[in-house]
Amino acid sequence: MSEVATAVGLAVEGLEVAYGPVTVVRDLTLNVEPGEVVALVGANGAGKTTTLSAIMGLVPAKAGAIRLGDRSIAGFRPERVARAGIALVPEGRHLFPAMTVEENLKLGTIGRRSDDGLAEDRAWVEELFPAVRDFSGRRAGDLSGGQQQQVAIARALLARPDVLLLDEPSLGLAPKTVESVFEALTEIRRRGVTVLLVEQRAQLAIGFCDRTYVMAAGELRLTLTPKDAGDSARIVAAYFGS
Amino acid sequence: MSRARTAAIQLLGPIALIVIVGLLGSASSGAHQIDFVNALVQTTIVIGMYIFIGNSGVISFGHISFVAIGAFVAGVLTIPSVVKPTLLPALFPLLANHSVSPFASLLIAAGAGALFALVIGAPLMRLGGLAAGIGTLAVLEITHNLLRYWEKIGPGARTLSLVPTTTTMRVATIGAVVSAVVAYGYQRTRAGRLLRATREDPAAAAGAGVRIHGQRLGAFVLSGAVAGLAGGLLVHALGSITTEQVYLDLTFVTLAMLVVGGMNSLWGAVVGALLISFLDTYLGYAENGLDLGLFRVNLPDGLSTVILGAIMLAILVLRPSGLTGGREFRIPGLRRRATPAQPDAEEEDGGAAPAAETSA
Repeated sequence: MSEVATAVGLAVEGLEVAYGPVTVVRDLTLNVEPGEVVALVGANGAGKTTTLSAIMGLVPAKAGAIRLGDRSIAGFRPERVARAGIALVPEGRHLFPAMTVEENLKLGTIGRRSDDGLAEDRAWVEELFPAVRDFSGRRAGDLSGGQQQQVAIARALLARPDVLLLDEPSLGLAPKTVESVFEALTEIRRRGVTVLLVEQRAQLAIGFCDRTYVMAAGELRLTLTPKDAGDSARIVAAYFGS
Repeated sequence: MSRARTAAIQLLGPIALIVIVGLLGSASSGAHQIDFVNALVQTTIVIGMYIFIGNSGVISFGHISFVAIGAFVAGVLTIPSVVKPTLLPALFPLLANHSVSPFASLLIAAGAGALFALVIGAPLMRLGGLAAGIGTLAVLEITHNLLRYWEKIGPGARTLSLVPTTTTMRVATIGAVVSAVVAYGYQRTRAGRLLRATREDPAAAAGAGVRIHGQRLGAFVLSGAVAGLAGGLLVHALGSITTEQVYLDLTFVTLAMLVVGGMNSLWGAVVGALLISFLDTYLGYAENGLDLGLFRVNLPDGLSTVILGAIMLAILVLRPSGLTGGREFRIPGLRRRATPAQPDAEEEDGGAAPAAETSA
């Protein structure tokens, strides 16, 4: 990330995911152009997190195609998806709590395709998220929620991903902390990283992202752009499926 | 405190404890020396189990298979060739016609344990949680029955006897120390860190690019080698062995040792192994009448296992991370002072997340 990367896009087509007999994502098609920041919003149970999990290979897709750039990654195991160039910051951060911040960051580098530019990337994430520098020797589980979120995103960025998947980055954080996370996202976008974001704070996401997909009952219901951010009636209607 | 110094102290604790037990054993009366040797060999077994279970968080009921393989390989290979046709008439010619030195047999036992772990681990390490535990139990059963009934590789249901008794106090101590160094060295490597990451959060580790199967298999093979070595030490300590001695009782006792000490640290493995080994030994004596000077203890048969089970249950309920809390050895007062995390009063979620418990 020492310099602006050549951006790579992500495309999902006809994705279907089921947990046993229950289908939670149906015929989902979405496109994140290279360098775009796109959000998925929707009520609880809409299938947003499952969509990210399926892209990452954490849950198997029943049907559909997933492409990173021009490469199909459907059916890949999670570690292979990571090495192909996608990093996930899961909901709840999922740091390794008994390990230090430094050890967590080192684990982030496992998915790198090359160690070239690692020092520059490290310097960049430290500038972006000072907590990773200030608390490098601390157990990650001892940090506050906001600090853990910083470490989680920094860990993902150290994999130098083409596409960053963020699941609820604002969950449980105070407004000021959320603001700083989205400021960091602005910088991440500037570096050419393609971002697909799941976010509960719909107004925030719609105003910030290039496009926002509204999901309900496992399907895409609506596509919004920043100029729709004030159209509350339309958003609420899409959320509740009317 | 520097990281190197912290590491040296963390390793020093288990090694010092092992050496102290070895020295006490050397100074003890002849009749009790075997108890100390046995405790040190069991410590080596538990360290072998710790390498896999402690670092991966995946429970294994099958590690005594590697001990059994190591014990019978080392035993069969060190019995003098001249007596093999009488003692083991059905052996494969390769085993019947060759004998090696006890030292070489330990290396072969370690290699056999590692090879067996590689063969069964390749498919088994794709499982996790309860399925992995049941799978390893199946491996224990298969190994036990192969050794018990296939007389081309061993004595079958009879006792394997006339094995040279070369596991002296010094050899047992060195074996346990070497195992501790291997275990600690492994957990400090990149592979060890990656495996512990899969223990704490498999999904996050896989998402970061960690190959869970490969990391688990690597640790399984290393732990198989250490357990195989322990099997070799065991047979050379006893001089004879049956398949029943490396089966369910030993599986239960060694797992109790790991749980009681704390399965997330080498220090826990060593403390638990030594503590439970001596307790088990003296409870066993008490079942046969133990003279304590002023009075004589006579426990009903089988009570020692009941007491061990109760202790294991109590630890699981009252102190799930074991007597050591799953932490490595440290000298009180030498802990690095932690910089407090900046209080984040704005957080809505209360901040710090709890440390992960080992998951099976």
